[in-house]
Parts: sequence; structure tokens; C-alpha cells
Amino acid sequence: MNQHMFSRLWVLIRREIWESPVAFKWTPLIIAGFILLVTVLLLIIGAKVDNEQVFTIDGIRMYAQMDDAQQRLMAAGVMFSAGSLFHQVMFLVVVFYLAGSLYDDRRDRSILFWKSLPVSDRMTVTSKILTAMVAAPIMYLGGIAFIQLSLVLIASGYGLMADINIFTEVWAPANLPKVWTVTLLGSLVQSLWLLPIYAWLMFCSSWAPRLPILIAVLVPVLIGMFQHFWSFFSNFRLPDFNLLWVILERIGRGVMPASIEWEQIVTESQTAPSFVPREEMLMSFKSIGNAFVSWEMWIGVAIGMLFLAGSIWFRRRATDS
Amino acid sequence: MESSIIRAQGLSRRYGSTIALDSVDLDIPAGRIVGLIGPNGAGKTTALKAILGLSKFNGKLEVLGLDPSRDRDDLMEDVCFIADVAVLPRWARVWQIIELTEKLHPRFSREQCMKYLARTKIKQHSRVRTLSKGMVVQLHLALVMSIDAKLLILDEPTLGLDILFRKQFYTSLLNEYFDEQRTILITTHQVEEVEHILTDLIFIKDGKLIVNNTMDDIYEQYTEVMVSPDDLEQARSLNPIHERVLFGRHIMLFDNADQKRLGELGEIHKPSVADLFVALMGEQASDQTEQSEAEGKAA
Repeated sequence: MNQHMFSRLWVLIRREIWESPVAFKWTPLIIAGFILLVTVLLLIIGAKVDNEQVFTIDGIRMYAQMDDAQQRLMAAGVMFSAGSLFHQVMFLVVVFYLAGSLYDDRRDRSILFWKSLPVSDRMTVTSKILTAMVAAPIMYLGGIAFIQLSLVLIASGYGLMADINIFTEVWAPANLPKVWTVTLLGSLVQSLWLLPIYAWLMFCSSWAPRLPILIAVLVPVLIGMFQHFWSFFSNFRLPDFNLLWVILERIGRGVMPASIEWEQIVTESQTAPSFVPREEMLMSFKSIGNAFVSWEMWIGVAIGMLFLAGSIWFRRRATDS
Repeated sequence: MESSIIRAQGLSRRYGSTIALDSVDLDIPAGRIVGLIGPNGAGKTTALKAILGLSKFNGKLEVLGLDPSRDRDDLMEDVCFIADVAVLPRWARVWQIIELTEKLHPRFSREQCMKYLARTKIKQHSRVRTLSKGMVVQLHLALVMSIDAKLLILDEPTLGLDILFRKQFYTSLLNEYFDEQRTILITTHQVEEVEHILTDLIFIKDGKLIVNNTMDDIYEQYTEVMVSPDDLEQARSLNPIHERVLFGRHIMLFDNADQKRLGELGEIHKPSVADLFVALMGEQASDQTEQSEAEGKAA
């Protein structure tokens, strides 16, 4: 990889974003706008009902009297929930983007133009998977950062009215630079976690004669159902391994921000009834690191690489008809 | 020969039981404008796709010294290509396509492209989807003419364009693009419009090359005579390969006949490519029709 190749990849990724502005530019902006709108509406309606400002100004005073750990937990909770919706929508958007990524230009024949440029098929496939794995999370992080900043600013407004020190009580616990770093790293690790699914979609997109998204969904569903009924009627059993569940579990864990210590929260809340989560459990670098080094992660990456190699193979042979 | 741009030996391609290319030999040197002419389904597009590395083939094929099936990425630095219908991405804006081509093609000159576009009504900010078909072809031609390539392949480039656009297309191509360093390979149905610019002519039918020669040799080989009514019998005895009647006058096409004798029979001129096409391909075409009708009945 030299500089020349990086600059070409960058151009190709820009092409993808130009082609799908709704998916990568407008959707995160719309989600951010939606959350902001709902927040502001709630505050306006709240102000009418709640004349004494008990929930807002008094609320923030109460919050200011909490200890540090509690403040950080509340701030992290708000930041975390604000970001979650973006992750889930992004997954859906990326699924549809990838299913069309190597199909749409075959259908409208513009593949003939793209193939007339001196760009290798490996480069094309790489640029598209990187758009899904890196460019999309960065664009959506833009939306997340915007909404988080807005929420902190709104809280600061109420904080000023309530006469509290917004720097120590609002900005410090919210710790936006840390939140953004965790979110970015977490998204990239989640992309890697979801790589087998992303690559499968691209693989279907590279050869499907039509409706790649349907093929990509139906194949695992049918295999999973077949396996289920087969083990039902015969003695052959793979008890804890049904393809469909494996995939659904992977998606389920993949659309959650990687920074959450999910397992720890579940086990601790079951053993200790008085369990209270801590900020570290929502915004944890350790959790991201653990996901990154897990063996499931790298089995997935290996499967993903196989599908990507298959996509390149089919792309190499693809023309307009 | 060192200067071969395209060299093929035994180039073949089958789709199931249909033979699209049947052991074609080809040698196109630099600085030529070659017309690849044939009826629908004759194997033109298959040949072009093989040359462009867009489909598999059997046999030997070298384009600019490279194997298109393996080295397509390198090859595309020196080969440009306009396909039968506008294939520019419909979602893109004009400036985006120019930007992409500039960044992805090392031999592209933005300055040139802007110069060509300035003569058209195409606006930088328009989306390809909103341009007329003629404008899309103009845009594509502007892009391609701004690339310093060695081989330009045109697959029915003017299909569906009005005559003004078509004339303009070939004029720009000839006056501003073509030189001895470049080679152009054209397939088209509108032979009348390209015959004056061609240096070489290839007729292809059922995957085989029927004619593969320079225009000069073709004009030397084939002669058309407008035979006077009195000399009809005598002319027919010289075995014309084709005869047609136009306003009561008999026009015969001769292959390798004595020019002097023909001169005595009537007015001599160069045959047009269209007439040659009808004469050389028509007969076989009618055989083909009978055959396919028989097949149709069987099916």
C-alpha cells in the first residue's frame, strides 16, 4: 500500500458517498434532527405543564448534588442512549448499501464505465467494504457528536439558570472527547465484528441476477430452518449451533455500541439485587479491547475475507449482462 | 510485427452450443481506424468484450502486448471505450464524473475535457440522469478524447442519436483525436457514416471474419459497374458476386475482375461499404434465414 493507492481508495470512497448521499449524509443528520426535535418539544411541553420547573431546573440542581460516580453514570447513560439509535439505523442502511454495492451498476450498465477506468476489481471491492466499515461509522459519528453536543449545551443552559457550575457538573462528567473516542473505536470494532455479514451481503451482490438483498436474507434463513427441522426429524444434532441463531446473535451484539460491558451487567445484576451500573460499564475501552481479541471476532473476520475474495472473483467476471 | 495493437490467434468463445467467435485471427497495427461490421449476433460485442478483458475467451489474444484477461487494470490505462448506450452513472453530476476520471486515470487532461465541454450545452452541475442521450454521448466523448490513450473502442457509439450529433461525433473524433499513434476500433450499423473515415474494414458473421482488409485493398479488389442494358449477358458471364437493379439500371459487383473489361461494360465506381455488406453477407444471410426458419419449425 503506497500513497498512490491510498489516494485512489479515498477517491473511490468519495464516489460511494456521492452515490448514496441519503444513506451516509442525510440519514445521520435526520436522526440527529429528530432526536433534537423530540428533546426540544418535550422541554417546551414540559415547561407548560411543569410551571415550577421542578423537572428541569430543580432536577439539574439535584443532579449537581450527586457524587461524581453518579453524575458520570447519568451523563454516560444519556450519551450512550443518544448514540444507540444511530448504530442500529446505520446497520440497516449499510445492509442495503452493501446488497446493492456490486449489483446496481451491473443493472444500469454503468459497470462498463467503471470498468473502463484503470481500477482493479480488488480496489473496487475494497473501497466499498471500507465505505461500509469505516466511512459510514465516521459519518454517523458526526451525527452522534452533533446530538451529544446539543444535549450538553441544552443541559448547560438549564445549569446556568440553576446557578450551578456547568464545567464541573455538566461538561466534565459528560466528557465528550472520551465519549467520541470510545464511540469511534467501538464502531470500528463493531464493523470488524460484522464483517462476515457485511461481506456476505457484498458476495451476494456480486453475482445475484436480481434482488441480492432477498437472496442474502433467504439463504441463511432457509439453511437455519432446514437445520432446525432436520435435527427435529433425525438423530443428527448440533445442539447449540444453528446458523440462523449464530447470525442473529452476531447482529444483535453488532448493533450495540461495543463499549458496553453487556455480560458484566447481566451477571452482576443477577447476582446482586442492589446492582447499580457504573459509567465504566457503558463507556469501556476494556470491553472494546476484549471484543477485538476474542476468537469469535477473528473467525468472523476470516469468513468475511473468504466472502470478499469471492466477491472479487465474481466482480472480475461481471459485465452488464 | 512489433507495432501490433491487437493481435489474436484462434480467438474463440462459445455460449453453450452457440459459437460467438470461431477461431478468429486478427492483426491490427497502430494508426488505423478499423470498422468491425456485422449483423446482430455476429460476434462483434463478444470480440470487443474479449479485447477489453470483460469476458473470457479461448485462443491467444494480445492487446498492446498485454493479455486482457489477466492485465485489464494495466491495459485500461491505454484503452478507452464507449459502449452502445450511455453507460455513465446516472446518479453522478458532471463535475463528479470529471473529478473521478481525473483522479483515477493517469492520462486524463481536465483542461482538454473542459475545452470540449465548453462547446456543448452540458452544465457542470447537471446530473447525468437529466441530460439528453446526445448530451451523455457528448460528455462521454469529451472524457474519452481527453485521455491520452493508444486504443479507442467504440461499440455502436451513435446508436439512437440524431444525424447532427452523429456527424459532429465523427468529425471531432477524426479532426481532434485521431493521429498515427492511435487506433480506433468501431462497430456500428450506420456504415454509411463511418466508411469515409475507415482505413480498415472487417466483416464478421457467425463468429467468422468474412472480410479483413484495408480499404485501399478492398477498393482494388471489388468493383461496381453500372452495366448498360445491352451488355447485361456479357457482364453476367463474368460472374458478378452481386447484382441489383436501381431505376431500371443493373448494378453489378465484381470480385477481382479485369478493370479494363469492366470499363467496357459500363460506368465503374467504388462500391459503398453498405453495398459490399449486402453483397457479401446477404447471400449467406438468406441461407441463414432458411435454416433458422427450419429450426423455428422444429422448435
